[in-house]
Amino acid sequence: MDNRMNLVRLIFYFVALETFCLAAPTPKWQQLDSSSSEKKVDQCISCHRDQEDKPALAYLNDVHYKKGISCADCHGGDRFAEEQDAGMNPAKGYIGKPKITDIPQMCGRCHGNTERMKGFGSSLPTTMVKEYLGSVHGEKLSTGDTDIAQCVTCHGIHNIKSVKDPSSPVYPTNIPKLCASCHGNAAYMKKYNPSLPVDQYQKYLTSVHGKLNARGDAKVATCVSCHNAHEIISSKFPKSSVYPLNVPETCNRCHGDGTYMKAYHIPTDQFEKYKASVHGKTLLEKKDVSAPACNSCHGNHGAAPPGVASISNVCGTCHSLNADLFSQSPHKTAFEKKNLPQCETCHGNHGVQPVSVAMLGVGKQAVCARCHSSNDKSKGFLVAAAMRSLTDSLMQEQDRARVALDEAERKGMEVEQAKFALKDVRQALIESQTTAHAADLEKFKAVVEKGMEIATNSKTEGEAAIHEYYFRRIGLGVATLIISLLTLTLYLKLKTKERMEQ
Amino acid sequence: MLKRAFAWLDERFQLAGLIEFAKKKSVPVYRGSLWYYFGGVSLFLFIIQVLTGILLLFYYKADAGSAYESVHFLTSKVAFGWLIRSIHSWSANLMVLAVFIHMFSVFFTKGFRKPRELSWYSGMILLGLSLAFGFSGYLLPWNELAFFATKVGTEIVGVLPLIGKPMLVLLRGGEDVTGATLSRFFGFHVALFPGLFTVILSLHLLIIQRQGISEPESWKRLKESEKRTMPFFPNFAYRDLILWLIVLNVLAVLAVFFPWEIGKKADPFAPAPAGIRPEWYFMFMFQTLKFIPSKVLLIDGELLGILLFGIGGALWFFVPAWDAKTAKGERARLLSYLGIGVVAYIIVLTILGYALS
Repeated sequence: MDNRMNLVRLIFYFVALETFCLAAPTPKWQQLDSSSSEKKVDQCISCHRDQEDKPALAYLNDVHYKKGISCADCHGGDRFAEEQDAGMNPAKGYIGKPKITDIPQMCGRCHGNTERMKGFGSSLPTTMVKEYLGSVHGEKLSTGDTDIAQCVTCHGIHNIKSVKDPSSPVYPTNIPKLCASCHGNAAYMKKYNPSLPVDQYQKYLTSVHGKLNARGDAKVATCVSCHNAHEIISSKFPKSSVYPLNVPETCNRCHGDGTYMKAYHIPTDQFEKYKASVHGKTLLEKKDVSAPACNSCHGNHGAAPPGVASISNVCGTCHSLNADLFSQSPHKTAFEKKNLPQCETCHGNHGVQPVSVAMLGVGKQAVCARCHSSNDKSKGFLVAAAMRSLTDSLMQEQDRARVALDEAERKGMEVEQAKFALKDVRQALIESQTTAHAADLEKFKAVVEKGMEIATNSKTEGEAAIHEYYFRRIGLGVATLIISLLTLTLYLKLKTKERMEQ
Repeated sequence: MLKRAFAWLDERFQLAGLIEFAKKKSVPVYRGSLWYYFGGVSLFLFIIQVLTGILLLFYYKADAGSAYESVHFLTSKVAFGWLIRSIHSWSANLMVLAVFIHMFSVFFTKGFRKPRELSWYSGMILLGLSLAFGFSGYLLPWNELAFFATKVGTEIVGVLPLIGKPMLVLLRGGEDVTGATLSRFFGFHVALFPGLFTVILSLHLLIIQRQGISEPESWKRLKESEKRTMPFFPNFAYRDLILWLIVLNVLAVLAVFFPWEIGKKADPFAPAPAGIRPEWYFMFMFQTLKFIPSKVLLIDGELLGILLFGIGGALWFFVPAWDAKTAKGERARLLSYLGIGVVAYIIVLTILGYALS
């Protein structure tokens, strides 16, 4: 009974195997050679597979193998030759292991040719090789450096998978680790750029992007989202996507896309706000690369929104004096108690605007008035009002000095030094805006008074110059009159003398 | 008291003789008598130059790092500093103008003829020194315009064959216009030129006092009864004084209403600003050089221009030596026409220089 059952099973398996074999597509290496009616077999893969060569076995799962690309397409030689010597004959183009420096051009034979790629049914872009050759990696390779990353370093050699395949090393969730295999290796990176940090991957793991990526989110930003996959250019060069002037646009590629960001439930108007902000205008319009871009506050590899407690540290990186003064002010404790973000409460975040005097005091536009109302008559209200009053006085004195100096200048008087000194008044006004962060009236008064003294001196000099102008004219009038009288006297005397002589 | 003082001096220096000599001095009165006064005006302006120059010296610092600042301080902080500087600058320009008028008046009245050749030669040297005063003084405030004008001016000297390069280095105190040039120009302006000028001016005045004022040929040909004269002391001196006072008034008005600007501090590393030009009295030469093509019959245009001006200047200087007609007491109309041509050329080229810049 058992024997009968075994026979039935054997027949079933045989039929099933035959059915499977007939249904399965014929591998390209077994297909007919177009030049012959004979069915020719790709001898490279056939032989090397039989010999259980690891590359050949791996290649059976390679995306290229499935598209009918033979070993000979990269290694050269005659794929159909049955004898090894004939198949691997240099006369037939056999090159063996390709030179590392030739790999991009070799891949580019197909990946740089749109028509050929279409023939494989691929819609992949064909600019990759060109982009790579212009990248920081490609440039190094062109110098003969064989340790630098090239195509196979990231994509693999004989087991290349589609980028959409989660087992591919270039699948989004695998990319950070892939890049870190070189960029996290201090000994390796030292050879190229000893000053380049090697902790990007560690930082990335702490970022919002990194955490989501680790959870398998393939949409979230990885290294190539910002640095590009093939056209990786040093951030020092304006063409780089991570050059300071380009960073906001780079971040905005995802963060400004409402559809793409929908699942993350965060706003997508940061870039628009940033563009209109004092930081955005300085960076994007004035092209001042010292102005902060997104990464200046959020970090780059470790990108995350700064928390309430750390905002003053973030802003304080540049605005250190303001941050110091704020930390000494009574506002620090008050903000902490109310869980208010320090700088952001008054200045905003992405759309931060240039400071103006209107922000100070207890008027409608004053930020102080948002908390300190006239009803409670608190000390804060009085200090804010006094600070504004002092600032207004200084600005009025500055205007008076400017008017006097301008008039003196129009009259042709020399007031250049006084005009130059007037710049110190502006400096005092800026200093007073900084000192306002301490919310200390005495400190504020000392700064304003310093400016007031300069403004008053400049005004006095301007007025003195105007006075001098009129004095000169009166003096000239008097002098001319005296000289003219003297001339007339001499003339009359001469005429009298000459009349007498006649 | 005065009589006693005079007697004391007369006893020692025999002044009575000098007074007698002065009393006898007379000046011809005719249609062109006005031109006699320009020598005196030039002298008056030179005196003003000396006095204001000494006052400026109290504050001026001849150093590339502080020259501009010292002039700036003088004009903005020192009481009447602006007035002194402005009068010095205006009076320098008026003096050059007066000297030119004086020179041309002597030329046209043939005042250079025998026996007054030395009077002419010394006067021409004084004219040259006046221009040198202007050129050296222009650089002293160390402002942008002066710096580049000096650069261009000294470069022109450098194109002369053989002596050009050594002269350029001598003038500049090196290859370029630097602080060394400023020190050198300052030395020329306040020591060398005033010394030479004073000696030659004294000689010039001495010759005139010894020979008397030149009488024009037309006046000489008059009968004795028709010859009108006026005593030098006090009639002519009074007129001189009246004119000096008028000039002083003009100077005061110019200084107050058109104060001499200080401009921007010179920056040797900055590109030359537009509108670089020399002082007005060099403009005709500057404009001529601009008009001459870069090459004329294989000769460098600039060199040709300098050579022509050199030859022209030498001929003008030595006019008493080659003008035979005037020497014989004949009318030299051609010479007068030549003089008119030169005056017209200077005026037209100067106007063109300003109009085209």
